[in-house]
Amino acid sequence: MVKVYLPELGEGITKATISYWYVEEGATVTEGSELVEVSTDKATFNVPAPCSGSLKGITAHEGDVVEIGSLLAVIEEDTVTEPGEEEAEGA
Amino acid sequence: MADQDLPLRVLNLGTIPYAEAFDLQKKLVEDVACGASANTLLVCQHPAVITYGRRCSHAHILVPKEEIIRRGIELYQTDRGGDVTYHGPGQAVFYPIFDLKKLGQDLHHYMRMLEEAIVTPLREHFGLNAYRKKGLTGVWVGPYKVGFIGIAVKKWVAYHGMSLNVGVDPASFSLIRPCGLDVKVASINDFFSDEVRLETICDMIVQRMAHVFQLEATGGSRQW
Repeated sequence: MVKVYLPELGEGITKATISYWYVEEGATVTEGSELVEVSTDKATFNVPAPCSGSLKGITAHEGDVVEIGSLLAVIEEDTVTEPGEEEAEGA
Repeated sequence: MADQDLPLRVLNLGTIPYAEAFDLQKKLVEDVACGASANTLLVCQHPAVITYGRRCSHAHILVPKEEIIRRGIELYQTDRGGDVTYHGPGQAVFYPIFDLKKLGQDLHHYMRMLEEAIVTPLREHFGLNAYRKKGLTGVWVGPYKVGFIGIAVKKWVAYHGMSLNVGVDPASFSLIRPCGLDVKVASINDFFSDEVRLETICDMIVQRMAHVFQLEATGGSRQW
C-alpha cells in the first residue's frame, strides 16, 4: 500500500480544501496521473498519483479542509511479476 | 532562488476565445513540465466570458444563465483557483506557464510576485496608488479592484494567471460578485482623462514579470 499525503504548498500554507477527485475509489490509476485537486486561496494544485495501482481508500473528501501532510488516500500498488518468477516460486 | 539566465518566451495572442487559450495552456503545461518548452507567458484579450472555478458558489453569478447568453457572454467552468470572474474586451490577460520547481515551489509567494508585476508599473509609470490588500489576492487602486488573480498548478507548473482591467465596460462586472466578494471594480482608464493604450500597459507588465521572476524575455509584439 502506498499512502498519498497532501504535500507542502508553500510557506505559511497550513491547510487546503479538497476540491475534486479525478478518480473514484476502486479505480485504476497510473503513476503521475491526476489524482486529486486541492485549493488554497486563489490557487488549485493537482496532486498526482505516486504509483500505478488501485485507489483503495479515500480519506479526505471533496469540501474537506485538510492540513498539510494529511493522509488523502491509499493506493494498492501494481505488483510486477518478473519473467520466470512464478516458475521459480512454484519449483 | 531563480536562475538568472532562464529564458521567458512571450507570446502575444491578440484576442482569442477563452477555450482556445485554455487548451493552449494545457498543452504548454505538459511541454514546460517535461522541459520541451521554456517558461512561457501568454498575453491576450478574450471575447466576453464569465469563468468560474469548481468550488464557485453559483449564487455569485447574479443573473440567470439565459440572460448571460442573451447578452452574448460565454459561461465557462474552469480549473483555476478562485471564484467567479469576467474577461472581455479592454482587459489585459496574462497566463504565465512557469515551472515553479525552479521558482521556489510556493503557491502564495508566486501569487504575491504576480501582484507585484502589476502593482509596480501602475505606481511607477502611471502614478496610481496601486496596492495589495493583506489577506486578499488581487490589485487595488484606491477602493477599486483592478487586477484579478487565479492560478492552477500541475506537475509544479503554473497556469492560468492574472487579468487587469484597462478599459472594461463596468456593466459587465455587475453580472457577478467578482471573486465572491462585494468589491467595487474599475479600469485603469477610469483614472485618466486620456486613454491609456492596453498594449502599453501589457509591455510594461511583461517587462516587470521578467524582472520579478529573473527571466529573460524573448518574443515579438503583435498588434492588438
